[in-house]
Amino acid sequence: MSLAEAPAAEVWAAPARATARLLRSELRLVFGRVRNIVLLAGLAAVPLLIGTVLFITQDTPVAGQGPPFLDRVTGNGVFLVFAALVSCLPFLLPLCVSIVSGDAVAGEAGAGTLRYLLVVPVPRTRLLLVKAVAALAYAGVAVAAIAVVGLVAGAAFFGVGDVVLLSGDTIPLAEGMLRTLGVVAYVIASLTGLVAVGLFLSTLTEVPVAAMASTVVVAIVSGVLDALPQLSAIHPGLLTHHWLDFGEFLRLEVDGSTLLAGLAVQAAWVAVFGALAWSRFTTADVSS
Amino acid sequence: MNTTRTLSPRARWAVPAVVAGAVAAAFAIPAAVGAVASDDLPAVTADELVDRVANAEPVPVSGTVVYTARLGLPDVTVSELQGAGPLDLLGGSSTMRVWSDGEDSSRAALLGDVSEYSVVRSGAEAWTYSSADDEAVHYVLEPADQERYDELAQRALEPEVEGDVPAPSELADLALAQARISTDVEATDPVEVAGRAAYQVELTPQTDATLVDRIRVAVDAETWVPLRTQVWSVQDAEAPALEVGFTDVSFDAPDAGVFEFSAPAGAEVREVVVPLPEPGTTGRPSSSALGGDGDGDVAVSGTGWETVVEVSEVDVEAILGATAEGRLPEGSTGSSGADDLFEELTEAEEGELPGIPELDTRALYEQLTTPVDGGRLLSSALLSVLVTDDGRVLAGSVPPAVLEELAG
Repeated sequence: MSLAEAPAAEVWAAPARATARLLRSELRLVFGRVRNIVLLAGLAAVPLLIGTVLFITQDTPVAGQGPPFLDRVTGNGVFLVFAALVSCLPFLLPLCVSIVSGDAVAGEAGAGTLRYLLVVPVPRTRLLLVKAVAALAYAGVAVAAIAVVGLVAGAAFFGVGDVVLLSGDTIPLAEGMLRTLGVVAYVIASLTGLVAVGLFLSTLTEVPVAAMASTVVVAIVSGVLDALPQLSAIHPGLLTHHWLDFGEFLRLEVDGSTLLAGLAVQAAWVAVFGALAWSRFTTADVSS
Repeated sequence: MNTTRTLSPRARWAVPAVVAGAVAAAFAIPAAVGAVASDDLPAVTADELVDRVANAEPVPVSGTVVYTARLGLPDVTVSELQGAGPLDLLGGSSTMRVWSDGEDSSRAALLGDVSEYSVVRSGAEAWTYSSADDEAVHYVLEPADQERYDELAQRALEPEVEGDVPAPSELADLALAQARISTDVEATDPVEVAGRAAYQVELTPQTDATLVDRIRVAVDAETWVPLRTQVWSVQDAEAPALEVGFTDVSFDAPDAGVFEFSAPAGAEVREVVVPLPEPGTTGRPSSSALGGDGDGDVAVSGTGWETVVEVSEVDVEAILGATAEGRLPEGSTGSSGADDLFEELTEAEEGELPGIPELDTRALYEQLTTPVDGGRLLSSALLSVLVTDDGRVLAGSVPPAVLEELAG
């Protein structure tokens, strides 16, 4: 069997319903898996951990040292969201996203369930889309979990107040919340490229661990290349290069072109790797 | 759906290739298009150009500026650890956002990944704010100087009096004539900078004894605002050693709130009172400005591009702050436009330099300079500085050997 030859009549009878059912079951699969829940809990624990440490050490000489935003947290709990995101972006978030997106197709193949899935009256293209949406939803929930736990923990530990921007100007808390929403949305959008890469690698193998590991490797290699000044010519196109641009939301005037540049790069990665994943998935012989 | 299902496997694999091509085109084409707007500019001579720039009405400017330095200095950029700061300007590429109302208010923000270093000027007072260490520095004039400043500002607003005051164009002619003694000034082909058509003028020193090979300044063809300055060193004819230019520019008046700054709650605030320079001394480095005790002498040898400034009785310990800022002495780039731009962008304050207290300036000084016979030498693509063991500092845009010879 070289192509997905789904029974045509049923497909056209109720394609939307079938897809919706598939998406629901896929989401249940992703968010019901114990491993994924543990990963989510681990991510959500990061702001809690940072908050607790800062709360304990706030009157000691080591207070106010560390990565960006960490020194602001004790003054305003909102910054716990940013501090936690900065801490999770280089490794933890890509790791979790890689695990879920790398598992999407290869996991089914490895468990021998992929051929049964293909019997479902949904074309392979749409099946792949459903897989992608579920993986992306997981990425979104992961980022949102960090943000929500960060905000709640920050408010509980240190209280919240007017937000001091990177430029030193102060904006009201309500606008600060809006900008925080922008940060969360941008970080989620920044992960779409990695989801596409993971999905493609996932269609290449029947060993889920291989797909997950190689997706993590892509994210890390991208980060390493980004740190080499000799390669500055290719930096703007790297998957991870614009990830920290979410700081743009904390500047005096949010410059849309900077944000768009980052989103355009993600869109490019999604287009290329999404197309690759589609070609591979719709042409592959599935025997397991 | 039916059509895609009938695609052969080979055709399906062509899809990613097409998508990749389309993506590459989408990113490459906007960069390649353009470079056209400057084609239909009427030709101007260098004299006219300088005249127009000198007479231009000040206009509000805002936009994004990219600064690139290839000065050949050891890499001391620490922005990943420290956040954005003036030290970034010693090497590599930095992005800045600038706002100016065309009069006495301006703001510049040096952007780091998730950090920012801001300099806000409003009239006679100025603020710097570093997000990395949450420190604000407030620069104000002494009360007596403030009166004098207000008076000067008042005078500038008065209508121009015909008579003994030369018109700006005459001044420009004078400056150009002065520059022509040592420099070839030439208008080159118009270029496009930040999507704007721009005239370009090239300054080439007539002497070979300087480190500066040539300087190009691109000036907006409508507003006569300098959009880009590039300085080439004799060591590298290809890439400019110093390049400052807009990548995105707007001439709409910025929101007035941009220029209003007060220290954020919780920030560490340092107040610095700055003396207003005495009339007539502007532009000449004083030894006190360089951290000396004020009794030091300033000697200038050579002219034009070969000028070497020698300051004696300098407290080297105190000068470390100045070295750390990578600030070029007045006139070191040889063009007042480039100097002003550099000054504006590095935001060195009169006599006081925004310090980076956490950084070990001594270590930085030792990293940037190399020990030579009788002192330490900082050698960069555009500037050489020799600090002798007996407390003299020689600086100039000349090869290091010249300084060593002068120092004796």
